[in-house]
Amino acid sequence: MRGQQDYLAYRPRPFRKEERSKVTLLYGGLTWKHERLLQGALENMGYRAKPLPQIERKDLDIGKEFVDVGACCPTTFTAGNLARTLETLKKEEGEDGVKENYVFVTVGACGPCRFGQYHESYERVLEGLNLREFRMYLLDLMRMEQAVEGGGLEINTPLTLGLFMGMFLGDLITDMEYSTRPYEKEQGKTDKVVEESIQILYEALKNRPLRGKKWGNLLWHLFTDYFTKALKEVKKLWDEVEVDRLQPKPKVKITGEFWLQTHEGEGNYNIKRWLEREGAEVIPPPVAVWMDYLIHMEIFKLEDAKPFVKGYFLKKTVATLVAYLYRRTYDRLRKALGNIPNPLPSQRELRRLAEPYFHYRLTGGEGHMLIGKALYALKHKQAHMICELSPYGCLPNTMSVGAMAKVLADYPHLLYAPIEVKGDAEVHALSRCQMVLTEAKKRAKEEFYQVLEMTGLTLERIREFEEDNPHIRRATYHVPRYGFVGTAANYVYHVAQLMRGRR
Amino acid sequence: MSFLTSLTLLKRRPSGTERKSREWVKVGIPRFLNVWGTAPFWTAFFQSLGVGKVVFSSETSEEQYRTYGKGRVTMDSCYPVKALAGHIGELLHKDINLLVVPMIYSLPSFLKGYVQDTLSCTRVMMAPENIKAGFLREGDEFAKRGIRYVSPFVPFGEPELLPLYLYRALRSAIEDITMEEVKLAVEEGFKALREFDRKARELSLKIIRWCTTNNRPAVLILARPYHMDPGIGHEIDAEFQLLGYPVLWYNYLPLEDWLLNWLFGKDVEEGRIRHPLDISDVWTSSYSSNTNEIIWGAKFGSRLPWITAVIRLSSYECGMDQPTFTPVQRIVESSGTMFFKFGELDETKPSGSVRIRVETIAYYLQQYSQKIIEAKLKRLPPVPHQLVVY
Repeated sequence: MRGQQDYLAYRPRPFRKEERSKVTLLYGGLTWKHERLLQGALENMGYRAKPLPQIERKDLDIGKEFVDVGACCPTTFTAGNLARTLETLKKEEGEDGVKENYVFVTVGACGPCRFGQYHESYERVLEGLNLREFRMYLLDLMRMEQAVEGGGLEINTPLTLGLFMGMFLGDLITDMEYSTRPYEKEQGKTDKVVEESIQILYEALKNRPLRGKKWGNLLWHLFTDYFTKALKEVKKLWDEVEVDRLQPKPKVKITGEFWLQTHEGEGNYNIKRWLEREGAEVIPPPVAVWMDYLIHMEIFKLEDAKPFVKGYFLKKTVATLVAYLYRRTYDRLRKALGNIPNPLPSQRELRRLAEPYFHYRLTGGEGHMLIGKALYALKHKQAHMICELSPYGCLPNTMSVGAMAKVLADYPHLLYAPIEVKGDAEVHALSRCQMVLTEAKKRAKEEFYQVLEMTGLTLERIREFEEDNPHIRRATYHVPRYGFVGTAANYVYHVAQLMRGRR
Repeated sequence: MSFLTSLTLLKRRPSGTERKSREWVKVGIPRFLNVWGTAPFWTAFFQSLGVGKVVFSSETSEEQYRTYGKGRVTMDSCYPVKALAGHIGELLHKDINLLVVPMIYSLPSFLKGYVQDTLSCTRVMMAPENIKAGFLREGDEFAKRGIRYVSPFVPFGEPELLPLYLYRALRSAIEDITMEEVKLAVEEGFKALREFDRKARELSLKIIRWCTTNNRPAVLILARPYHMDPGIGHEIDAEFQLLGYPVLWYNYLPLEDWLLNWLFGKDVEEGRIRHPLDISDVWTSSYSSNTNEIIWGAKFGSRLPWITAVIRLSSYECGMDQPTFTPVQRIVESSGTMFFKFGELDETKPSGSVRIRVETIAYYLQQYSQKIIEAKLKRLPPVPHQLVVY
């Protein structure tokens, strides 16, 4: 008997190698910068690739028409975005055109978290659009090598490393962007330079030489100066951006659910831009931190299982080496941009900080990291305020938000704004954020004026010094941290040191 | 513990690890989330460690939450998670000195080996860390009452690591505890759990045999284990029993080879699945233990002729259930089996509307069950002799 004659899990048709030249890979879920760079990495390997259009508010409504009731907003937005794209393509190229000329590639991770099951919602979209024949492939985020049936898409070492590089570069440019834009002298200059930087790096990825297949390719990526050279070219663009750091602005660290925190657009009410308009400096969350977390979780699990693991020391050495090389590569790239982008936090420290409040092995979503990151920012004076973005109905994040109650009791000084994002309640979310931001602004100003008083400097005196030393007004000029949170406060102290002939 | 169980424990205990008397240890365990489904493990585990007593909190109720849990919850979540506050609060008023709130990360699922993983829902595993904060933020409510709070990480799916995490958590509260003892206690726990599981499945088979012999319909419940809690599942299953319909729960269905081969044999032969417990034909992200079992239960329900209606229970805001709504319904309905869903279950028990719906469903059961049984029987090989009781 066939108990479910009419219901079978979605299985995409094979995507054959010979189709590569005419089939376009659709993908999405990240910032436009990351997506453009991934496009370069994919094109470099001979694929036609195109990111989905940027998320719009209407995607939420479209998504709701297709997915089962109760989905979180990232699921609904991304499902709606896919539906909108496929509908547009259907109009332009007809149903057969969509089915034959495009495939959608998505990744799954997190196991029990809904992130690992987004594709179920995408399947509802395909059914709803009568496009079950359209090909959608789910890839495993943690596998270096995998292929879809038919071999049309092969995730091999060169492609994986290209995608990693694209991710790193996207993170670094995003960090440059957010540390510069709030202080830019010429409005719009940062955005222009971001676009130019991404184009240079896209070309670099697209034209990346393919050296070696596996280990040779890995070694090339680890030691080549190909990407640092491209970044040095990019740095020249940023050298031309003049900034005025004498503006005390609260630093707001963004944490939260993966999609919402990295997203830049209507899916999270454009909250990063909104914070900047409200006078804040945003610290964006790099995708690289999450990948680092996943690598370290494997190490932590290995350490726990030590008595039961054959060849423990070898495995531990390999895993530790991978983690080290990952960080080293990120740091090399950072250095090429004058160390302006933030370093990756130590995963062991995040775990240690979160330990009293959240067990490190409770995985799913960001696990203990949300608590670890908040405390890290506080202890390292990285930010005045934490803005945590959690989707309505998010499974893991609601749990760490609840656990934060004890953290806040222990650290009443911590400014923490957990924002629940439904996608259609903008005023409510932003007004909640603004209440905490008001206090953060006050702190940033107090700190700034304290440093002015401490150093005995006046704004006029600093401006005069800047006139004589214009290089310190470059976006790429690295201002060391002196134990103050705000950019302006550290800058004033730094200028005082320079005036005294010290750094 | 029975006399026979005591003898078995003594027999298995290695020399040098005589049970220590820990009469002074009075353990409290909240009857929450995945403790439903693993309770026999906890009882046997602590009995093996020689504790004085093991006390479970009451079943979830509005009163319990109002009296002991209100003001302790610091976020919005599904009710089964929030209800933990009431359970912990209630236990603080019982005669205990050790409160054990397990963070059950993965489960000992019967589908292990046929699925990608057997993990708990992320909210379910993380709930203790979340709710604990509500009892600590304004002062340590546990310490005030002289109670040690222990929340072990519990990976049932990694049995070799389970004793390690339990030992790490318990040694702060029971100073003389040893790793050897914990290992042994874990074995005892698993043994008790297997035994409970065997008996429950045996009872389900008995129900199915009765239905077969008497040609009577049964109702299958697809839910999460904690919907057995009257305060979470609102006793919807009992309403059907009151009307004379036998009720089967998906997590205790019989697993006899002859039965599974009868129901799934053709699919295995045709290569659609590797084994009767394989769900990859209908569900590809098989990470979540409860979800996997619900999906398998839907397949079972769609095939077994005497299951003529499947009742889905789901709590408000259940993110794990959400992606399964369409697949489960379609799996069930595609065989002509009736499907009904009680969704968005929350704190309040809507007795009136539940009763009206149950009565409506009962009408359909009465009206269509015989046709459904006949149609489903036609698609199967002859009924196995083991199923018929003369």
